[in-house]
Amino acid sequence: MAENKNDNLDDDVSRRRFFTLMGLGVGWGGLLTALGGVGVGAARYMLPSVLYEPPTVFKIGTPDEYGIGVDTKLKKERQIWVVRNERGLYVMIAICRHLGCTPNFFQDQALFRCPCHGSIYDTRGNVLGGPAPRTLWRAGISLDPVDGQIVVDFNMRQDPDPKGTPEGLMVEEMGREVEPYFLKV
Amino acid sequence: MLKLLQKIRSIVNQTQVFKSIFRHGYPDTDANRALVMFSNVILHLHPVRVRRGALKIKFTWCLGGLTFLFFILLAITGVILMFYYVPDTRRAYNDIRDLGTVIYFGSLFRAVHRWSAHAMVFSVWMHMTRVFMTGSYKPPREFNWVVGVILLVTTLVLSWTGYLLPWDQLALWAVTVGSKMAEATPFVGAAGPFGPELGRNSGNDMAFALLGGTVVGQSALLRFYVLHCLALPLITALFIAVHFWRIRKDGFSGPL
Amino acid sequence: MSENASESSKSLPKQGKLADLIKKTASEKIGPENTVLVWPNLVYLELIAIMVAVATILFLSLVSPAPLEELASADTTPNPTKAPWYFLGLQELLVYFDPWLAGMVLPTFIIIGLVLIPYVDPSPLGKGYYTFKERKFSMLGFGFGLALWWVLILIGVFFRGLDWSWYWPWDDPHVHQPAGAVKLVDLEILLQDFLGLNEAPLVTLGRYAVTMSNLLTWAMFLGFYAVGFTVPFLFFREFYRKLGFVRYNLVMFFFISMMGVPMKIFLRLLADIKYVLVTPWFKI
Repeated sequence: MAENKNDNLDDDVSRRRFFTLMGLGVGWGGLLTALGGVGVGAARYMLPSVLYEPPTVFKIGTPDEYGIGVDTKLKKERQIWVVRNERGLYVMIAICRHLGCTPNFFQDQALFRCPCHGSIYDTRGNVLGGPAPRTLWRAGISLDPVDGQIVVDFNMRQDPDPKGTPEGLMVEEMGREVEPYFLKV
Repeated sequence: MLKLLQKIRSIVNQTQVFKSIFRHGYPDTDANRALVMFSNVILHLHPVRVRRGALKIKFTWCLGGLTFLFFILLAITGVILMFYYVPDTRRAYNDIRDLGTVIYFGSLFRAVHRWSAHAMVFSVWMHMTRVFMTGSYKPPREFNWVVGVILLVTTLVLSWTGYLLPWDQLALWAVTVGSKMAEATPFVGAAGPFGPELGRNSGNDMAFALLGGTVVGQSALLRFYVLHCLALPLITALFIAVHFWRIRKDGFSGPL
Repeated sequence: MSENASESSKSLPKQGKLADLIKKTASEKIGPENTVLVWPNLVYLELIAIMVAVATILFLSLVSPAPLEELASADTTPNPTKAPWYFLGLQELLVYFDPWLAGMVLPTFIIIGLVLIPYVDPSPLGKGYYTFKERKFSMLGFGFGLALWWVLILIGVFFRGLDWSWYWPWDDPHVHQPAGAVKLVDLEILLQDFLGLNEAPLVTLGRYAVTMSNLLTWAMFLGFYAVGFTVPFLFFREFYRKLGFVRYNLVMFFFISMMGVPMKIFLRLLADIKYVLVTPWFKI
């Protein structure tokens, strides 16, 4: 649209030129705006507003059903591990932080190992080996005051910045054992 | 015997039906051989004459043509498979199993579809390698190389979207991994560099748009089905048309 | 770019090169004596190729029908999970690089790099015939990338087993390899311990605690690119002059990035280094 061909013009021509340029500007600008609007609309259209997915808040029984160590019985149904230590109980999400595969727990080694790209986690979720860039998520948990069951919020996730150490990617454990991601038992 | 055949041919060539379809005699004279190229829509992809070098197997290895052939095979077998497949997480797996067990030739069509897909990925790579080795991307054919790269990408995306459809373990985990990569895209993925800083979360990022949700479930299956059976084949066919058109316009780069 | 010389032209005298070029250009002219009718010469060749290809596909389909694994279930990932062969190069890269890099940025670089090839290499030498001598750099560069891709695919197909560990063909594929024997360390931690640097951050920018060793890794990372850009510029002036400023920088950026991929892989394999560069937002 930038035309610099004519430098010295009389008023008449420059007025005509002004209106031509303005017409072009409004026309093309309007077209591009409309196209951009269609593009934004199409992009927004691809993000659904209503989801029909399994519930993300569920109950997993009372704390005394879980002994010290890693409990894998809910991995199939809920994609979580329930871990209990001397201080209390937390719920880890059975999704590898690398690319979302489900790691397997090896009782004898006390390690989680991912079959997709070989990430290795300890029972606290710290990364001991493999390509995982962050530690395992811990889910938000609380006690239902009525029936005393543990309520897990699957989408509420603790995800602290890990620190690289010679042992692997570590997060300071005491900082993780805070509400609502930890139940003192 | 041969005489009889020739007689039959000349009679057939004279019928109104034959003439209405082909508009030229049997291509055994130079004139008819040129006419067949002009008047047949499929053969019209070719010029009437080519340089001798274009016939050299050791130059082209037929790789581009074979890629196109595999695409055709995939389109045909794909349409056939669609008659029995419902993109529903409750049905998809059983539909594919039925293809292999109770539907006549279902296993064969599925196998041809799969092998053609593998062959197409392989031949498209080899074709690109060959075009590089012979320097055939050099001016004036730069843009056709770009179209070729686009076709390589659509071929790979077609393969990837295709293997979600059986809804078996490979399907689920390949797409889970793929969607996690989308989630890790810089700036537009919730887990990517600067994604969270720009307000991306699992409800509005790239992976969400790809899957139509936060898990690989029904909406993801439907999206991949539509992409695999409709959107991507159309895009690929469009670029194949451009690719062939440009070959005709820019000419053959090879030796005489 | 009008000189159209290849990188290897130093061995050839200028005159010979030009004569060569004219000959080649002239030979592209199409006269009737150099052409043949498509029907039957090409059409029949294509028919044969189609029949051979279809027969091969049919044969493969009959001897090896398409597999169907178990019904999809989100709670169990098959061990190992292998993508189809053409994505195994990518899956192997994911072992050494974070998903944003291996899954998104590197593939994007590969695609952009491929798209750029004809625009950074428009020299008509080697157009329309197989030659290595006349375009050594582009052949070696492309060949290196291609070889890297195929080697990664072969590793994924033949040498990866349970838990994505390395399995030699003679290893029992049903027995897990011992885990966690190797600890991965970030380069900055190695430097910190090796040089005895202070662990305390020099300056803290939001989430980013910049330590001395972190600055060193930045210097090494940027230095890798700086050296890569400078050395050919200083010592291969002819190469730079022929490409020009824009083309040279594009070529070198993609070339150095490509060389960086196997370097990081070697650092991982030889020195057990997890990341060479760590920030709170991205790690390389």
